[in-house]
Amino acid sequence: MRPDILTKIEGYDRVVRERETCRKYGTDFSVERGAVEEYVRRLHPDRMHLKVAEIIEETPSAKTFRLVSPNGPLPPFQAGQYVCVYCDIGSVRTGRPYSLSSPPGHRGYYDITVKAVEDGFVSDHLLNDIRRGDILETSGPEGHFHFNPILHDRALVLLAGGSGVTPFMSMIRESLESGLERTFWLFHGDREPGEAMFREELERLAARFTNLRYIPVIENPSPGYGGACGYITADLIRREIGDAAGKTFFICGPGEMYRFCIPEILSLEVPAGKIRREVFGPPKSISRSPGWPVEVREDDRFIVSVKGGKSIPAKAGEPLLVALERGGIVIPSLCRSGECSQCRLKLLAGRVYQPEGTPVRRSDRQHGYIHSCAAYPLEDLEILL
Amino acid sequence: MIDYEAIVIGAGNGGLAAAAALARGGARVLVLERHNIPGGCATSFCRGRFEFEVSLHQLSGLGRPEFPGPLRGLLQNLGVLSKLEFVEMENLFRFIVPDKVDLTLPANRAGIIRVLLERFPDEKGGIERFFDLVYRFFQEVISAFYLRDPEVTPEKYPLYFQYAFRDSQSVIDEYFRDPYLKLTVAGYWGYMGLPPRLLAFSDLAALLFAYIEFKPWHLKGGSQALSNAMAAAVLDAGGEIRFSCGAERIVTRDGAVQAVVTDRGEEITTRYVVSNASAVATFAGLLDDGEKRKEALKEVRGAVVGTSFLTLYTGLRCPPGDVSITETTNFICTSTDMDRDFALCRTLDVSEPPLIISCYDVSDPDFSPEGTCQAAIVTMKYAEPWLRVPPEEYAAEKYRSAETILRRIEPHFPGFTANIEEMEVATPITHMRYLGHPGGSPYGFEQHVKDSTLFRNPKPPVKGLYGTGAWYGMPGYQPTLTSGAAAARAILREMSRKENAR
Repeated sequence: MRPDILTKIEGYDRVVRERETCRKYGTDFSVERGAVEEYVRRLHPDRMHLKVAEIIEETPSAKTFRLVSPNGPLPPFQAGQYVCVYCDIGSVRTGRPYSLSSPPGHRGYYDITVKAVEDGFVSDHLLNDIRRGDILETSGPEGHFHFNPILHDRALVLLAGGSGVTPFMSMIRESLESGLERTFWLFHGDREPGEAMFREELERLAARFTNLRYIPVIENPSPGYGGACGYITADLIRREIGDAAGKTFFICGPGEMYRFCIPEILSLEVPAGKIRREVFGPPKSISRSPGWPVEVREDDRFIVSVKGGKSIPAKAGEPLLVALERGGIVIPSLCRSGECSQCRLKLLAGRVYQPEGTPVRRSDRQHGYIHSCAAYPLEDLEILL
Repeated sequence: MIDYEAIVIGAGNGGLAAAAALARGGARVLVLERHNIPGGCATSFCRGRFEFEVSLHQLSGLGRPEFPGPLRGLLQNLGVLSKLEFVEMENLFRFIVPDKVDLTLPANRAGIIRVLLERFPDEKGGIERFFDLVYRFFQEVISAFYLRDPEVTPEKYPLYFQYAFRDSQSVIDEYFRDPYLKLTVAGYWGYMGLPPRLLAFSDLAALLFAYIEFKPWHLKGGSQALSNAMAAAVLDAGGEIRFSCGAERIVTRDGAVQAVVTDRGEEITTRYVVSNASAVATFAGLLDDGEKRKEALKEVRGAVVGTSFLTLYTGLRCPPGDVSITETTNFICTSTDMDRDFALCRTLDVSEPPLIISCYDVSDPDFSPEGTCQAAIVTMKYAEPWLRVPPEEYAAEKYRSAETILRRIEPHFPGFTANIEEMEVATPITHMRYLGHPGGSPYGFEQHVKDSTLFRNPKPPVKGLYGTGAWYGMPGYQPTLTSGAAAARAILREMSRKENAR
């Protein structure tokens, strides 16, 4: 504003005096460089470099990696959250989310428990190549699959498939160690009795604590196996928990398990909002998902060109994110299940398949943004990073 | 070497508006955004079947097509107006003080006066004269400054010269007696982050005038729709955007911008930089010239980092009516002591301070999935008390705050808590995390007159460097978008001057 106007406004001299006084006693912001990042890092570090302090063999096919921080306490987390482990395997840089299985009260270490899977890329690397003393690069704790005291009942029915038990280990350990007012029914489905991780610990805890009921459910039991067999059915759940009212359900496991178990839970007249499901990576065979175009086969191959960058090959049956990583293109990723939107990018040309229910923002859909971990090429694509 | 005519650091409202205007003005422009999505505060996030609006409560200055406000023209110039669908709100807000006040102010002058008179019949004269003052004051502002009268004198614009530097409290004290009336009329103070004692009357008048004349609005798809549309406008005009790529340093030589170094270590040359990062991050963190840094920071030395917010984002498994939500915007106050309410912003206490409850589904029924609605419950909080919470207590403190807030709103919206399906609590630290601002302040510095652009030059003392956003002017959607467009205009003017000189 022109000074001749400004100075004539009533109170001008007072404001000038205020300004001068405040400047005299004010703040020297020049020392604030990096201060915000420093504060935030205590809770939400972008990246951590954690040392493998111990490797514990849980079952013949699963190991727990105990990770410690070389610089002070680890960020707190809520039982059920995960970290993404980033690694370079050959020429490919990728990551995988692993639920923390240790209880959140312990800020000295994080446990992740990794199970061998068929054609497992990262799991094979971790199980075969990582030794005590190695450094793993991870994200901070992330995810929304955790207890919320305002929304959830204190009576919790936990359904785990295979290594999907890991977030529940954290929840159970936390509650039993700290004497929290919670009651758990843990149904743990696995193929064979020998594969059920944490079985001994859970049996021991269930024997000691009346607020934990542990029900391993074995799909292919050996003859003479005495426990629950087959799948986790509505009948089995009802038999164990009685009335489903006043209970919140948490489910974590492979996609097939959701397809089977969620209708079973719903048949117990549980409202949909009382069922919390963890995201659990891409399904084994995407083409069996509803809405997949019949004319495209999973091994159809396409070209993805990055605007202003290179072109890479991609397979219809594989998430676009994986094709990018294979092609040496690194973009942010975290949950790798469509939920967190870190791997969001813009589709400029071409069609992709996005599994129903992938939480993409409304205006992102209108503007052609996709979550590349939950998007499958159906033709040649052009994308913008 | 890569070269752009202009680089915009940060894709918030100001950064995107600047970038879109630059690109459309023919400049080769690059936007660096360290997040993977444009918008800054103007964004949304998904939880379950809900997409939560982060920050847009009531868009000001838009106006109807037949009576456009300044924002409408601005968005038109940025090429995004036709890409957006706007929803007009019928009312300004419902104002609740338990057992004392419960009224809803419509978005028109006569209606407001009628509603206030019903509740405060003894204050007839004051109510009418106050809104008369607001209108006449603002009409003077429009004639003098928006219409650029070459001769602005106290004789011609007496109200402006008398009231421009007045605080709001002394003005409402002059016009009203009933403390509840004062509270209601000053209800919007939360939108500026300062109580009436510290809030310039001109700011309160601007808020009231803008919302009454041009109505409050919301956007289909929320603020992310605006951010995405502006990002698209940048790209369509040949501009470039790099997501997940932050700026590390602004390189200068002889007091002029030379280049920007990205967080990947890449140096990109440019003559012009528009920073949408906070003034603190820009000067203390990015600027490489020690002398200029000192000079720039001296300008803001007396300023105080503004308030942040505690927000409870809730997704309800029922439509708004089921829990008696009848208005899009609701304020709940417990006391008439706004100074105390403001002081409470520096504590963790949420049992008393004012709450803003915005339920977009009231004016836009398809904002959330069918049969559901979402409500954002906001209260002002500075970062300090939250920074003192030990990390291991952080989650528990969030839940404690949420519980207290829900207990407070339950009597007015019965059944609210039992109907929550998804919930997320954002604290000042959350804002620090996603905005990178000191104090997690979306409003920049506290908006005192002494720190306003009337007394401080918003242009950083480096040739080619411009600032945009709340840290360089006023907070809010309309002001930050306006500041971005203004920065772009200044740069385009400068560029064409150089072009002509050649």
